[in-house]
Amino acid sequence: MIKRLFDWLKQPLGLIAVGIALLTLFSLAAYGINYTQQAPAQPVQFPHTTHVGFGIQCLYCHPGAAKGPAAGIPTEAKCWGCHNQIAKTETSLLLAPLKQSVESRTPLEWVPVAQVPDFVQFNHRAHIAAGQNCENCHGDMSKLTVAENPQVFNMGFCLACHKKVAGENHELLVKLTDCGTCHY
Amino acid sequence: MSNNFSRRDFLKLAGVGAATSAILTGCGPASRYVKREPYMLMPEYNYNGQSTYYATTCRECAAGCGLVVRTSQGRAIKAEGNANNPLNLGKTCARGQATLHGLYNPNRVRGPIKHKRGDRLYETAADPFEDEFKDADSNMNWDDATQTVADALKKYKPSEIAFLMGTTSDHLFDLVADLSTQTGITPPVRFGALSMFESRATLAKAAENLFGESGLPFFDVGGAQVVFSFGANFLETWLSPVSYTRGFAGLREAQKKQRGKLIQFESRMSSTAGKADEWIPIRPGTEALVALAIGRLALEMRGGPLPRAFSDIDPEDAASKSGIKIETLQKLAEMFANSTGALAIPGGAALGQSNGLAVAEAVLTLNAVADNFGKPGGVFFSALAPNQAMYQRPASVKEMQDFTKKLADGKIKVLFVHGVNPVFELPAVLEFKKALDGVEQVISFATFPDETALEADFVFPDHHGLESWGYQRVVTGSAQPVLSGSQPVVSPFYDTRATADVLIAAAQLAGGKFASALPFKDEVEFLQSKVAPLMSEADGFFSAPDINTFMAYFQQYGGWWKTTDARLVPTTADIFNRSLKATEAEFAGEGEFFFVPFVSPTIAEAGANKPWLQELPDPTTTVMWNTWVEINPVTAEELGLVDDDVVKIVSEAGELELPVYRYPAIRPDTIAIPFGQGHTAYGRYAEGRGVNPTDLLGGHFNEAGDLAFAGMKVKIEKTGKKQPLSRLESMMGVYGVGLGEEK
Amino acid sequence: MIRPEEIKMSTEETGKWGMVIDQDICTGCQACVAACAMENNITFVGEKDSGYGRSMHWIRIERFWEGEYPEVKMTPNQPMLCQQCGSATCEPVCPAFATVHSQAEQLNLQVYNRCVGTRYCANNCPYQVRSFNWRDYKRPEPLSNQFNPDVTVRRRGVMEKCTFCIQRIHKAQDTAKSEGREVVDGEFTTACAQACPASAITFGRVDDPESLVSQLARAHGHGVKHLEELGTLPNVTYFKGG
Repeated sequence: MIKRLFDWLKQPLGLIAVGIALLTLFSLAAYGINYTQQAPAQPVQFPHTTHVGFGIQCLYCHPGAAKGPAAGIPTEAKCWGCHNQIAKTETSLLLAPLKQSVESRTPLEWVPVAQVPDFVQFNHRAHIAAGQNCENCHGDMSKLTVAENPQVFNMGFCLACHKKVAGENHELLVKLTDCGTCHY
Repeated sequence: MSNNFSRRDFLKLAGVGAATSAILTGCGPASRYVKREPYMLMPEYNYNGQSTYYATTCRECAAGCGLVVRTSQGRAIKAEGNANNPLNLGKTCARGQATLHGLYNPNRVRGPIKHKRGDRLYETAADPFEDEFKDADSNMNWDDATQTVADALKKYKPSEIAFLMGTTSDHLFDLVADLSTQTGITPPVRFGALSMFESRATLAKAAENLFGESGLPFFDVGGAQVVFSFGANFLETWLSPVSYTRGFAGLREAQKKQRGKLIQFESRMSSTAGKADEWIPIRPGTEALVALAIGRLALEMRGGPLPRAFSDIDPEDAASKSGIKIETLQKLAEMFANSTGALAIPGGAALGQSNGLAVAEAVLTLNAVADNFGKPGGVFFSALAPNQAMYQRPASVKEMQDFTKKLADGKIKVLFVHGVNPVFELPAVLEFKKALDGVEQVISFATFPDETALEADFVFPDHHGLESWGYQRVVTGSAQPVLSGSQPVVSPFYDTRATADVLIAAAQLAGGKFASALPFKDEVEFLQSKVAPLMSEADGFFSAPDINTFMAYFQQYGGWWKTTDARLVPTTADIFNRSLKATEAEFAGEGEFFFVPFVSPTIAEAGANKPWLQELPDPTTTVMWNTWVEINPVTAEELGLVDDDVVKIVSEAGELELPVYRYPAIRPDTIAIPFGQGHTAYGRYAEGRGVNPTDLLGGHFNEAGDLAFAGMKVKIEKTGKKQPLSRLESMMGVYGVGLGEEK
Repeated sequence: MIRPEEIKMSTEETGKWGMVIDQDICTGCQACVAACAMENNITFVGEKDSGYGRSMHWIRIERFWEGEYPEVKMTPNQPMLCQQCGSATCEPVCPAFATVHSQAEQLNLQVYNRCVGTRYCANNCPYQVRSFNWRDYKRPEPLSNQFNPDVTVRRRGVMEKCTFCIQRIHKAQDTAKSEGREVVDGEFTTACAQACPASAITFGRVDDPESLVSQLARAHGHGVKHLEELGTLPNVTYFKGG
């Protein structure tokens, strides 16, 4: 059976069929990859650009970054602290989910975009303490509306920076390229 | 698909398909599948990813060690000792560590349930590790539950209402005690399997007889030079194991002074005997003789007149009866007499015999030879906890027998049960379960679906200890008076409610003297009213000008304690002039083997439902997840038994089948079985695992009313069956290698 | 192949982190075992698999018997955990470089995402302290709420072992760095040492002569390093006492 199939595939019509099939497969894959790399849908179309534009510091909403491993997503109480004083909150369609969430006391479900792979223990505080700025990894948020990730956080990305930072300092290089620094 | 389409072709195509789907789905950030819910309102002191620590009290046994629990994002993730608490100074035992497996146990009572007696509280399935054991759904709301309690309080005469409590937080006990004094309901009864196996009543009674006042003796192991322990297994579960373990470390501390010695008299080697410099495998029942003989020999070595207490004993006779050589006795007596800090401790199985009280008195009197009362390394009365007028001991088994009889006779119409599992813990011969038939309403406040909750008409679950308010009086183990404080470290996981809140609300509903007995808004207000008097006391670890600040500190530090040593010195003027009965214990039953049940140090009374406690190897045998019977290898050879052979142990009260563990450090005429397993309920990890040795115990008591649990003789019968035990030290049983063909 | 004359006996400390265990006061109470399991998300395997020796204890307490009844003695309880060898036998046999030596912390690492489960390392460990995830053992809801977020939850086919609570080391170092200081001795300790009721376990910097662990090692003076004749340069010192 399989031999007859191959024979058929070798004639021109068959080759065209194979071509179409490959093309379909390729475009599906391209679409799929493209789809997975897009920023995921968020409960609120949160405009980072507006907030950064007002001069709000990253650490105001994500204070965990300076204190511990996770930067954290702000509580609704924090959002509401400003927004309940802003008239637009009442009418804005964009802010309706926030208003509803606060009134019904159900938390918003955000989808994190900046994720490290499994088996990595990442700690924000160490990076802030080492003088790294948020935008070094997360990109320029003042140009972004809904958060997306400027690059894939993989080991190459981490190590490139670790090596650059260490430079000629051998002791630091040992520390920053040690498996146990991130994997435990 | 034709028949010519081979498996190989299929695999080829399947491979292409798999690769494609991997390309399509595998490249995306994992984030696509993750959702994060931030707090609605995060506490000010909290940060994402940052841990918050709360001080509270361990409720796995009655000792009252302080804990500091690490929480992250509202979940408790690790329990550590509270370094400030003078009882445990930052340390914990294995059971304290595993308390989180109680909090997050997959089988808990999830809400108030009206329940038919005997019905299950969770579904059973075949495999506890793979299958779901679904908990019963709550079928009533808390308003109805509170009304039910109120109705029960109103409907019956006060004398027909009884509370049975166990490792309940002391504030709840105080609340019920207050309710009892003001309304005339039966005073609350407290019981626990640990106090039964510790023979606490005997120890307290002996102290009362000798020193004229009642209290729990405290033995300063850390300050001693030579410790003679008669059955007191203080490194495993006895009284306050964390504190006594610290004492033991102090005994051994070589830098400060000469390394202290421990001599353990026991028929079966426990962990404590294992750590001892000398283990004396004494014949069960002869502890009193040996203690007195050592005392007499020591006094004779020192010279001078022989006091009355030690004049009746004949050391030669004691030596022959106890199976200890007279030379050994002399050597021990010399050690005791010449030491600058000798200490003798009675406890455990030595007291759980028909002559237990005589043993306790003899051993306590032995301390008079060392003249160590009230001195470092000697015997004290434990410091009373800050809001405690006198030592209240848990009920002895004799008192529980009387209580059970009252239940069976229908004198109690409604029974409230909290923090104790008498159906499992009390010896089967007491027939507690049957006695419940005489009670019209049984209301259980059980957190877990245990055997007693199964026999209740209503289960109104209390929070787990880590979700609760409260305080625990430290009755022994600390030189300072300590009141360990509890606070919720996480919000309740299920629809449970604090029993104190239920009782306060129900008392208000019941009205009359019930309402006036508990005039509180809630549990916390009651707690404040009990803690407030401490503000005016001197020498506190902290003080505060007003109650709110005081309560804040109380939570922050995990309790309140004094900074001064408040151990009391026993009055011992007359101690040498009492005449002590040098008797041997009597043993009930026909068999040829002494039977020693002991508390499993890892599982103890309430640990069986915590999977990591089950997987901790027993310190002496390294057995996990099961019950075994310890038999001396020589005896086993005579009987033709090897490891993992199932034998039937027959006592006058019952029989059990369980596998043999050949234990090299047990008398050939003695067998031992650990207590802790053998549950018929209590969640997926506990149920149907091992056997319960209390089924073998007869209803025999010593003079103090404690159960003579070690006063039985039993028979061993072969069954021809095999049951491999999981042992850390060997995999022989399960692999079937060498089974029955040793050597 | 190391020839006997090449074996270095560790007369002076070579590692960075080390432990001193006083067997004379260890009571075998299992508090360390429980604490370790709770801290490091170690799974329980159930009665059957633990009987087959698949239990996942990162630390276990060994006790042996000497003599026969009535002169039988229990040898001092011996907590056995990864000795964080300076020259570890597990490391060179890993084909996937999953058991590598941390140059920064002088510890033996187990990199879970590299591990392919050959189990060569466990076979080659003279202390038998490595445990393998034979299955994906279930920890039903809500037991998983207890997971420590600082430690990876391992899955089937991965080797694991004691890490000297490396997550606590990192946490202390990060805290110290953020506050612009060095880690102070005793600022943190491992889960087992923290729980031990007898304080039989002491953890700290062995390369700092002033640390408590170094002081204890000197004070006792009769410490034993297990199987150091194999040239493993272990970093755990045992005192038998007595």
